[in-house]
Amino acid sequence: MAKDVVEAASDEALLVAYGRGERAAAQALTARLAPMALRVAARMLGDPAEAEDVTQEAMLRLWRAAPGWRTGEARISTWLYRVVSNLCIDRLRKARAQALDAVPEPADGAPGAEARMQQAARTRALEAALMRLPERQRQAVVLRHLEGLSNPEIADVMEIGTEAVESLTARGKRALAADLAGRRSELGYDDD
Amino acid sequence: MTDDPSLESDLDRMFRAARADAPEPSAALMARILADAEAERPRARQVVPRRRRRLRSAAMSALAGLGGWPALGGLATAGLAGLWIGYSAPAELETLTAGWLGTQGYDLVDLVPTADLYLQEG
Repeated sequence: MAKDVVEAASDEALLVAYGRGERAAAQALTARLAPMALRVAARMLGDPAEAEDVTQEAMLRLWRAAPGWRTGEARISTWLYRVVSNLCIDRLRKARAQALDAVPEPADGAPGAEARMQQAARTRALEAALMRLPERQRQAVVLRHLEGLSNPEIADVMEIGTEAVESLTARGKRALAADLAGRRSELGYDDD
Repeated sequence: MTDDPSLESDLDRMFRAARADAPEPSAALMARILADAEAERPRARQVVPRRRRRLRSAAMSALAGLGGWPALGGLATAGLAGLWIGYSAPAELETLTAGWLGTQGYDLVDLVPTADLYLQEG
């Protein structure tokens, strides 16, 4: 497959091509899908090394699914979001069984005046607050507000109804807002 | 829990900041994923259809030598017609030969001189 053809091809066309043994299709799929899988895993797990392992495992499952992939049945991105989320939830449940209080508190101390540092501090505070949400709320909030998926897409990923997705994201957002309410000045929102 | 609208917008700004500051896969992770892809890349699937295609193409080229499917149809019709002519003896042909050669007709042996006749003359 020529380079420009690979770049223009849909995820599904690339997966079918990989299923026929085309190496270039795997490279294009990895470039497209691995960043997406890693983002979700990192926000779900709060641990970069674990997130990398989950990303590799999810992609491995995609390679193995390729020869039997039935075209038109499911969007590959939806399928991958589901696999990543489920792998993360499995790991979180195992970890919780081992240590209940492993969720990290956000780092103490006000961030520096520099805007970049403040932004990084806000992101860290948000990530820490996300880790204090129940898993399903976290999953819904990450997919909705960090990955930008629509509610019907999230419903597909989580295999629940759209109303349940709306409820999860609303509760998640309220809990995040309450969690971060006491840190507004620390995160520089009083100055904005 | 809070309904403070300013906090909602703070949260939206945090989401935006987090989207801009998303983690990206390292080169080592990409290499690991591609190594898995290479190890899992289907290869056997390519071989089986090729063999089948080769067998089929041998049969198809034999057929093409005869002139393809239409010629095969014509060949079958001609064969059946020959068979039918051979089995059903046409009465008209017998009448014609009887008219020329007499009603008794001749056998093949009547028309060919015997070896004795040649010996007598020689």
